[in-house]
Amino acid sequence: MRAQMPSMLIATAALATCLAGAADAQQVKELTFWSHWAAEMPKRSFVEEAIRQFEAKNPGIKLKQTWYEKTALYAGLKTALRAGQAPDIFYAEPDQVEYMENGFLLDLSELNWAAVEPWAKEAWSYKGKPYGLPLEAWTVELYYNKKTMAELGVKIPDSLQLAPDDFLDMVKKAKAKGITPMALGVGDRPYPGAHVVHEALLKRLGVDDYDKLLKGKLPWSDPRVVDTLKWVRSLTEAGLLPNTFATLKLAESHIYFHTNPGALTFLNGSWYTSRAFNPPDKGGQPKDFPLGIMKFPAVPGAACNECRSIAIGGSYVGNVATKHPKEVLAFFNSFVSFEMGNRWLDNVQVQTGIKSDPAKLTGPQAADYFKMIAQTNAGAKYYFGIPIQVLNGKPKEVFIQVMNNAFPAGTIGVDDAVKQMTSAY
Amino acid sequence: MPAGTDDSSRDTGLTRPWGTITAFLLPALTIYVAFTAYPAIRTIWNSFHKVLPRRDEAVGLANYAELAGDEIFWRSVRNTITWACTSPLVEVSIALLLALALYARVPGARFFRVAWFTPVLMSYVVVGILWLWIYNFDWGPVNVALRALGLGGWAKAWLGDPKTALPSLIFVTSWMWVGFNMVVLLAALHSLPKEVIEAAELDNCGWGGKLVFVILPLIRATLLNLIVLSFIGKMKIFDLVWITTKGNPLWATETVSTYVYKRAFEWTTFDLGYPSTIAAVWFVIVLAAVLTLTWLFRLREKLEY
Repeated sequence: MRAQMPSMLIATAALATCLAGAADAQQVKELTFWSHWAAEMPKRSFVEEAIRQFEAKNPGIKLKQTWYEKTALYAGLKTALRAGQAPDIFYAEPDQVEYMENGFLLDLSELNWAAVEPWAKEAWSYKGKPYGLPLEAWTVELYYNKKTMAELGVKIPDSLQLAPDDFLDMVKKAKAKGITPMALGVGDRPYPGAHVVHEALLKRLGVDDYDKLLKGKLPWSDPRVVDTLKWVRSLTEAGLLPNTFATLKLAESHIYFHTNPGALTFLNGSWYTSRAFNPPDKGGQPKDFPLGIMKFPAVPGAACNECRSIAIGGSYVGNVATKHPKEVLAFFNSFVSFEMGNRWLDNVQVQTGIKSDPAKLTGPQAADYFKMIAQTNAGAKYYFGIPIQVLNGKPKEVFIQVMNNAFPAGTIGVDDAVKQMTSAY
Repeated sequence: MPAGTDDSSRDTGLTRPWGTITAFLLPALTIYVAFTAYPAIRTIWNSFHKVLPRRDEAVGLANYAELAGDEIFWRSVRNTITWACTSPLVEVSIALLLALALYARVPGARFFRVAWFTPVLMSYVVVGILWLWIYNFDWGPVNVALRALGLGGWAKAWLGDPKTALPSLIFVTSWMWVGFNMVVLLAALHSLPKEVIEAAELDNCGWGGKLVFVILPLIRATLLNLIVLSFIGKMKIFDLVWITTKGNPLWATETVSTYVYKRAFEWTTFDLGYPSTIAAVWFVIVLAAVLTLTWLFRLREKLEY
């Protein structure tokens, strides 16, 4: 009996160890996940499918998803991060530098960055370390109604870029026919109105000087800036923008362009598709809408007419306080591949920071759309970000009020606008 | 303690039931301390600090110095005070006229009472969206009416022009709150002592005389309370601005509340110190204004009838 005791003890211990191991293997790690895009089904479906595939490949990990609209998400995150109750993974955009300044984000240096566009990584880099998975990327595009443009007798050149005077002429022709030349509204967004000023100044100054201007190292009273603002002023005085510009909301401006009352052009992020490619009864453009994309016009005295902006939009970041950093990284790595990049383009029809190959797209709508986007972006020299992503604090607030709203609306003139911007720094 | 006091308590059996008193007071006191006193004190404490996640840095009066030179803040103060000073007068004046009309039993009085009161029942969100439509440049009823009257030149983007945006919003709040003021004033009118009115009529006092010399003095306290309530409400206004203009254009409709929110949640910072400074200063200003109004309006002689 005594001789049997040690062997029984060993057997029991071995069994306990095996059972404990099995229990560990069955213990599921749950990653909490908060995301914008509650109502943007193509993006949401893409992410949900990615989660399904990730969970299938990693049975020990589950993602608990919560979908929000952006404003509610941002407000909730600010409180949750302070309280130490933020999720493991959440939606963010690169202009939210406060997350990085306060050390809330997980360092993603170990991500498979080879499968990510270098400029996208750059957009998410802070003090030499990358912090975000750059899913969505976009450029500012000038959409137009091909049929109306032809009826007005305006010929878009092969370069897809009208000369400054030709663009002004186009505005005047449209206005004379009672057609709004450009559908834009700032009723619920701090940036659409600034696209005109932003693209014009970027072309006139070139990437480096434009960056200096936004960062307060070049005065807004610089003669090139003043000249360009005067040119923009000539466009708005010719009736470029709708009379409802101040209160027209983003969703309404899409409909204003393609459906009611219809406008000649629409200057918008290339994520135009996320609303316009919905069915017409859900706010999408009419079937067979003659959509064209041209380049923003050349600017008088431009240093770089091929300059344009590219921005990183919706991204995912990890919470530095997560208990599962390896799993978060594994989840992010499941997004970075050519296959996922192309799937994003095919389904979401917006550019992405993940490396992809538009030539291999299979959906006809996506293939046509990205062909047009590729044409307008051919030979482009990019500035990364739009002003509200670059500016902070008072300069940002003043820029929104002046360059997004009052100046394009014609409420204030060039001198006043320059004075306001100068006093903001 | 004087012996007599102890004796008298014992005689009457009126010892203070401290346990019961505490039991009754504690819940209310706890709620008051947790949700009113502590946040208020904490806000004032925050205003002397840079309040960042996981760390607070004392900055002395730096936030106050910055606030003194903050043009946007002073612009928002000007807008809010303009709103708070004009709106109560407009609301109460119109409400008084409407209440008198109902008191005089104009035809359709019951319908008008409901119709005029209805806007109060709507939330600022609904009212904001409604008036965004009404002020729409292309098809809003205001501009459509102007064009129909041959006054198309006056049509404008009412909320998009810095000159008209604030007055347009002040008009909306007045439209919304006139009904509430009217109902309160109507109740005050109905509670007037009939004998005083009848005495005035026996003295051949006409409608104008009755209004100026009898009715208005008797409902003066109600009028002043309504003005103070409306003033306080407008000093805190946020919802309508946020729904309609978000402080645009060019800060023409920026109020102190919208500016505090922007600084706390929309500027790319976690710092709650500066927004707390704005809140603390504004609290003092509102408190001072209300005390001044109360002092100015106080009834020196108690009304008796």
